[in-house]
Amino acid sequence: MWSYTFRRVLATIPTLLAVITVCYLLLHLTPGGPFDGERKVSAAVLANLQAKYHLDLPLWQQYLYYIKSLLQGDLGASFRYADWSVNDLVGKALPVSAAIGGGAIVISLFIGVALGIVAALRQNSLIDYLVMLLGNIGGAFPSFVLGPVLVMVFAIGLEWLPAGGWDDFALRYMVLPMALLVFINISTIGRVMRGSMIEVLGSNFIRTARAKGLPMRTIVLRHALKPALMPVVSVIGPLAISSITAAVVTETVFGLPGLGKLIVNGAANRDYTLVLGLVVLVTVITVVLNLLVDLAYALLDPKIRY
Amino acid sequence: MSHNKSLRVAAAAVALALAGTTGFAMAAQVPAGVKLAAKQELTRNTGSEPESLDPVLAESVPANTITADLFEGLTATDSFGKVMPGVAESWKQTSPTTWVFKLRKNAKWSDGSAVTASDFVYGWQRFVEPKTASPYASTYGIFIQNGKEITEGKKPASSLGVKAVDKYTLEVQTPYPVPFMPSLVANTQLAPLPKATIDKFGKDWTKPGKMVSNGAFALKDWQVNSKIVVEKNAQYWDLKNVQLAKITYLPIEDHNADVKLYESGENDWVLELPSGTYDKYKAQYPKEIRNAPFLGLRYYSLNNKDPLLKDVRVRKALSMVLDRDILAKKVTADGQSPAYSAIVTGTAGADVTSYDWVKWPMAKRVEEAKKLLAEAGVKPGTKLKFAYNTSDYHKKMAIFAASEWKSKLGLNTELESLEFKVLLKKRHDADYQIARNGWNADYNDATTFLALVQCDNDQNDNKNCNAKAEALIKQGSDTTDQAKRKQLFTQAVKMIMDDYPMIPLLQYTAPRLVKSYVGGYGKNPMDRYRGKDLYIIQH
Amino acid sequence: MMQSKQKAMTAALDNSLADAAVEGRSLWRDARVRFFRNKAAVLSLIVLALITLACIFGPMVLPHTYEDTDWDAMGIAPTLANTHWFGTDALGRDLLVRCLIGGRISLMVGALATIASVALGIVWGATAGFMGGKVDSLMMRIVDMMYAVPYLLIAILMVTLLGRDFYLVVLTITVFSWMDMARVVRGQTLAIKSKEYVEAAHAIGVSTPKIIFRHIVPNLLGIVVIYTTVTVPGVILTESVLSFLGLGVQEPMTSWGVLIQDGAGVMDASPWILLFPAGLLSVTLYCANYIGDGLRDALDPKDR
Repeated sequence: MWSYTFRRVLATIPTLLAVITVCYLLLHLTPGGPFDGERKVSAAVLANLQAKYHLDLPLWQQYLYYIKSLLQGDLGASFRYADWSVNDLVGKALPVSAAIGGGAIVISLFIGVALGIVAALRQNSLIDYLVMLLGNIGGAFPSFVLGPVLVMVFAIGLEWLPAGGWDDFALRYMVLPMALLVFINISTIGRVMRGSMIEVLGSNFIRTARAKGLPMRTIVLRHALKPALMPVVSVIGPLAISSITAAVVTETVFGLPGLGKLIVNGAANRDYTLVLGLVVLVTVITVVLNLLVDLAYALLDPKIRY
Repeated sequence: MSHNKSLRVAAAAVALALAGTTGFAMAAQVPAGVKLAAKQELTRNTGSEPESLDPVLAESVPANTITADLFEGLTATDSFGKVMPGVAESWKQTSPTTWVFKLRKNAKWSDGSAVTASDFVYGWQRFVEPKTASPYASTYGIFIQNGKEITEGKKPASSLGVKAVDKYTLEVQTPYPVPFMPSLVANTQLAPLPKATIDKFGKDWTKPGKMVSNGAFALKDWQVNSKIVVEKNAQYWDLKNVQLAKITYLPIEDHNADVKLYESGENDWVLELPSGTYDKYKAQYPKEIRNAPFLGLRYYSLNNKDPLLKDVRVRKALSMVLDRDILAKKVTADGQSPAYSAIVTGTAGADVTSYDWVKWPMAKRVEEAKKLLAEAGVKPGTKLKFAYNTSDYHKKMAIFAASEWKSKLGLNTELESLEFKVLLKKRHDADYQIARNGWNADYNDATTFLALVQCDNDQNDNKNCNAKAEALIKQGSDTTDQAKRKQLFTQAVKMIMDDYPMIPLLQYTAPRLVKSYVGGYGKNPMDRYRGKDLYIIQH
Repeated sequence: MMQSKQKAMTAALDNSLADAAVEGRSLWRDARVRFFRNKAAVLSLIVLALITLACIFGPMVLPHTYEDTDWDAMGIAPTLANTHWFGTDALGRDLLVRCLIGGRISLMVGALATIASVALGIVWGATAGFMGGKVDSLMMRIVDMMYAVPYLLIAILMVTLLGRDFYLVVLTITVFSWMDMARVVRGQTLAIKSKEYVEAAHAIGVSTPKIIFRHIVPNLLGIVVIYTTVTVPGVILTESVLSFLGLGVQEPMTSWGVLIQDGAGVMDASPWILLFPAGLLSVTLYCANYIGDGLRDALDPKDR
């Protein structure tokens, strides 16, 4: 397993290089440049701006220049946010997204699995339907509707929590955004868990256990849970990636300084260096999370070897 | 706004206009009888993360809002748009192309050192220097002698027409008469800059703990994409007239999120109400709704090179059937007023023009428009292509226009929603037929709007050109007679607008919510409110 | 639309299952019986059919069109007094007709893009998981890359290079949506691959594609069906993002995603503009979910 992990980490390098190249070309092919604004800058100013950011060089030279500074750990200067380097911007956004997205995914995992088990044990009963009705709220209503509703109830109506903003990891600013992400995630986790739990509960070894007269609680927790978690682990990967790197709506609704909004704004502003820097980061996060998922498979199912 | 205060401001304006050269401090004067709150702290949304706090790199409204609190130029504008003395206590136009500014001796940087004429020379030279790459370099630079050439790299920055005659006297040369110079230098792109600090820290000089500034406020904290905090600058020369102790600026982009923060008490100042909610909030918060027109124009660019639209009759027909009254009162419904000219109400240096058909009944306008289209050989069912960038507001207006052209002229409009940068590119490249457009004045003078319709101007997306009008504008620019200049500019605008190069629609207003305890809010024609002029009323 | 999608899917399941390892029993007939015993699933099927029919025929018989503006009836709340039963939008257009017209687009996009991304995800994931080794590595690194590429740029580039087209919308959404399914399917494939019957098939020399499609894919159906229904809302809402970028439907044509997006902006001032399209979408999604769960339960070979 260690050698597998090592190979996977090594494989990140070509992946990164490929992603950077693809995105580099994408950025330069996309119409509209970083300095196009409602007020068109004069030809002279445009030339000055392009010289400042090395955009006057041939594309391949810019590319090499970028790769070279990347190797030194420098993601370059942001085109849009002139006072900050991309390292600064990414370094400030990542902890926010990691805290909110990561926290949300852990909570979602517990709630989602619990809901799934309850529904599975009461398959096709009223309880099953109700649990799935509640669990699916996050899937059935768009987050840009659900988010403002949370704000209206808990911030403006009950005045329990702030309507948005961020204050150095203060918990009260994190509750509502995390709640929104949890709503979204449990709709997937809960349903996947329900399905897989029903499947496992119907399998031969569980029937044997039941025939032996073991209590349901023991059967579920000791025997059924582990195999039933397999598909849940599969979906956790994509969910964690999107909760951390692509929670654009959540960050917009609650005005959070996270990664998702930075990527969207970066692309909208054609902030080439910022977008590339974030692409590098997202790739690394994706690779790491997917690696963790793959290692978790092996833990849950000893038959899986790499 | 109390009657008392507006009277006093009006009196000040008259005094300023008469005296011209006398300087006196006056800002944030709290009307008699108003009790100030003990906690003088304001939180206002600026709409997005500023691209920079370096005044010469600031381009967007959020960045300019904040730099205007951190820095102060030779002059400043108050909440009513009146030009007030800033670092300069008086100024004089000594020849058609020379201005002399006398600086006050008590103006200080936040580190306690004196603000001198050479700080302005340094700041202005840095502003036009090609290496700085300021986006505004040509916009304002062209009004200073050699500014244009320096930006183009043809002359060194040291040749800029600005000179420190002595420590407290600044002399400015212009390439032609610039009567609005006192209003122009209120922009913080032309503020003094702290050379020692910039040399020491480089690009990092705008960070908290490093920045040295000369405005009423000093930078305290900057959390990217989350908030910027400034506090009263203890070294500021007019400290006794600064009431606010602290201002927090939020970068909230989503209009609904902005209102939610306001309603939950975490924000005192909604930048812009969501489209379609003005009436609701006006009824809900009658004391907090603020809405003043400012120097901004919503218009539709017509591609004058387009095979269909190169015929002036077609352009005229398209313009005259759009019922701006319905657009203003019912569609946008947030207090904006109909526009029929490239110049909007309140602009100095030219009068607003109009069309004779504005007063006609709509039926007659439609009949005339149909006749024009028939003459031009345009048949009902002809297709128009309309490009706009996505926002609820623009979308609503676009659907309105398409509906009007369809129901009144039988023309089919294909609406195309584009990402903003894509639209900008298409507009600048004249790769469109009809496109949404808008403009906010950079300074209060007709030339900022004339740019939209002048021959070969960077800002002219319509690609129209009226040589006769161009000659009049040139003539007006060269004269020092203000009345003559205004008359020539107005005549030129009328001439250009009779070519129907574009479709003026509405003059912008700034419908927003500001807590009733925020005092000092006025009707600034540039929609610029400095923290210096604001205060918190006891509540 | 949804119904035909479900039919197509069940037909596909029918075929693959008939060939599957579990032969000799009429699995499909059993499944059908079990499915129709599930009350929630059957009710959902009926509701979904009604919504689909309303979207298809409603706009033909209603008194208003989806595009006609009315400056004298702008933003009016639903009443029975006039014929605007769902009220009107900010430009005086009848909301009921717009919801139904929008449903046509959303149901169609939802069905097509879901099927496409699910199909691609299954083939990709099952192949990678079964082949393992270098092939798995390469295929999964491509998936990793797809997560990192900013979708905004791809969408803008697509519309710039290829213009606007309904199938391009479906294609673009598919490009954004298939990776989750690929990863989930790969994970399950890894688990199934190590099961005895697959190893047995391998041992007796059954060809790889045959093993994948006869033994692996049928055993993935449970999670595939569930994850398919999870994919639907994302697909429908992505369409509205594409509309903004000029790729999806353009005004005055509309979709549920666009209607909800518009409504969300004025949910305080005129809530009905949000409530009707959001309600229709969520009812549809709930129905899809219950049908999905019902299908899963019905197809589960161990559950009887």
